[in-house]
Amino acid sequence: MFGNWRFQRLPSAHPGVAFAARAAAVIAALVFTGVILAIAGANPIELAAEVIDSSFGSSFGLEDLALLFIPLILTGLAVTVAQQIGAWNIGAEGQFYLGAFSATAVGLFVPGPPALILVLMFFAGIIGGMLWILIPTLARAYANVNELITTLLLNFVAALLVYYVSTGPWRDRVGLANSATPRLSAEVPEFWGIVHWGLPVAVLVVIATAAVFTFSRWGYEVRLSGSNPSAAKYAGIPVRRHLITVMLLSGGIAGLAGMLEIAGTVHRLQGGISNNFGYLGIMVAVLARGSSIGVIFSAALMAFILNSGIILQTQGLTTSAVLAMTGLILFLTAIGDELSHYRITREKT
Amino acid sequence: MVNLRNLSRRGFLNMSAAGAASTFLPSGLMRQAAAAEPLPAIAEEDAVLGFGHVGPITDEGWTWSHHQGLLACKEAYPNLKNILEVENVPYSSDATRTYRQFVKEGANMIFDTSSTGDFLHEVVKRAPEVAFMECNGHALMDNLGWYYLAHWYPTYVIGVAAGHLSKTGKLGYVASFPVASVYCSTNAFIMGARTVNPDATLQTIVINSWFDPQAATQAGTALVDNGCDFLFGIMDEAGYLQVAEKRGVWAAMWNTDIRRYGPNAYVSSVIIDFKDFYVDQVGKRLAGEWTPGEHLLPLGGGVDRDTWGQNVPQEVGDAADAVRQKMLDGWSPFVGELKDVNGEVRVPEGQRMTEMELYNWDWSVEGVTGLSS
Repeated sequence: MFGNWRFQRLPSAHPGVAFAARAAAVIAALVFTGVILAIAGANPIELAAEVIDSSFGSSFGLEDLALLFIPLILTGLAVTVAQQIGAWNIGAEGQFYLGAFSATAVGLFVPGPPALILVLMFFAGIIGGMLWILIPTLARAYANVNELITTLLLNFVAALLVYYVSTGPWRDRVGLANSATPRLSAEVPEFWGIVHWGLPVAVLVVIATAAVFTFSRWGYEVRLSGSNPSAAKYAGIPVRRHLITVMLLSGGIAGLAGMLEIAGTVHRLQGGISNNFGYLGIMVAVLARGSSIGVIFSAALMAFILNSGIILQTQGLTTSAVLAMTGLILFLTAIGDELSHYRITREKT
Repeated sequence: MVNLRNLSRRGFLNMSAAGAASTFLPSGLMRQAAAAEPLPAIAEEDAVLGFGHVGPITDEGWTWSHHQGLLACKEAYPNLKNILEVENVPYSSDATRTYRQFVKEGANMIFDTSSTGDFLHEVVKRAPEVAFMECNGHALMDNLGWYYLAHWYPTYVIGVAAGHLSKTGKLGYVASFPVASVYCSTNAFIMGARTVNPDATLQTIVINSWFDPQAATQAGTALVDNGCDFLFGIMDEAGYLQVAEKRGVWAAMWNTDIRRYGPNAYVSSVIIDFKDFYVDQVGKRLAGEWTPGEHLLPLGGGVDRDTWGQNVPQEVGDAADAVRQKMLDGWSPFVGELKDVNGEVRVPEGQRMTEMELYNWDWSVEGVTGLSS
């Protein structure tokens, strides 16, 4: 009888089941959007073919994916790192802005050979991101203020700060750029079309971070502090110190994303620089389920989704339709993830 | 006024000609990349055009007007089947991605209707076989030209009307960004108004967007709260016109005739029309005759003031139109001496500003507040 069936929650999902659930979710989302597109009068098969061809059919398309991948991998990693110790860094967006801001300050006002300036910008970006998360970090560590709120609110402050300097004191008066700073002369060199050396740097940062969390004693302590702070404290682990270090690391990584976006891709500080990469990083992290290496795959998926959005817009779909589709894929994936934690059992009576 | 960083060899050879170009040539052409080899001709049915817009084509303003240009091209070249059009292109690296996608889909000619600058130029440099036109652009390359409107003339005319209509002498302006088109627009407006009321002032609020009806409405409300009884601005939609209608003050707009959103408040609009320009440029590209040029559509040839609003007294409209007629006859109000907000003389006595100087204006004249100087 129906009453004999039970949903049973498992402590962790079987990897095979988790993968199947995720694949099913993506397929369900694609089928669902395909049906909606067909009802709207479009040809979903043709659109899908166009998306695949534009994304993977040429070097041009692959370069676009790679360029989107760089900031996403880092903001996704920033959020994932904070998760290791049980903190939600919703402020990767703000730290991204501050990383870009600090790197620009160095690029605009520090004289010197471009290679040296680039190195200084690299560290300025990281420090900028760290400074932006410093107050939420200390508030969480010493006053137990929820970092979810504080990091989120600082995003708006950061965006307005960047709008202010890029349209005000730092605005370009020579090149007549539309509300942006002058072009920075120090640039991360490109090695493949529009793709710059930020790509290998970002991937290396992910691998190094994953290695530290997985293999070092420090990483173990952090993970323990994240999963059970009380137990960690009784075991003599300095939870507060680890919390501060990890959150600063998280902010620094998001700041690095901002620095690479400025120095590698955009070259001018301006209001829209972040492209929501900070917020998208949260989705990347959710999809990666706390795995630093997983960030590589989820950032790749996210880059593909975002790039598909642009392709679909040139095919006459509106931004809202594209956003709705992106949301649907993520929504169904989240449901799939959650369901993979359950199994259905039949109780013997 | 020449962007040295983006200057190509051809651009450089042409610089000497640019200095002389202070008056309009036919079709608003200011200068042309003279030595550039035209891109080869394409059959109408094979051609692919791309249009990227800053806002939605339903804005009844800027983007809508450019969309009318696209429709005019379809009508003029009926076999033209492939026109790609993307709305709401952000001013970010997503703009680069959008224009690269146009190139991937085989576009032969791409119009960026709202100057995305470097984000577009990234694509221009990597797609030499594609013709690019940037509206309100500033760079001339071997395959990139730009086009814009001499909006300062009708704006000055509307400013004269504002000088007559405003009782308080406090004028308000809803601005997008502190960029050249906004400096020029605010300056022309207050200069026109001050010919009637020398004490008139212009308060500006910058909302960091060309299309944000809510922010424009808030800014308009704040300006009226501050005592302004005439609102002007450079928005793609009608937000602050509705504020003016509700609060019983005057408003002048941009782009199109949108008086139905505030028939009592409506004074006029800087009305724009790119249809002939687009048809001309696309025709040249199809025929293999297109070379990149710099175009400023003149008063009466793409930009003008709209028919005066129903409540504008006849004599006010006539007074402003008399100024318009002088302009059509070649007179310019943009002659020194002009001082900036700090009282420093920026244009000496008797010197007439060139069209390029007006186009690239980046400081505020006396009487304007709210823009960084």
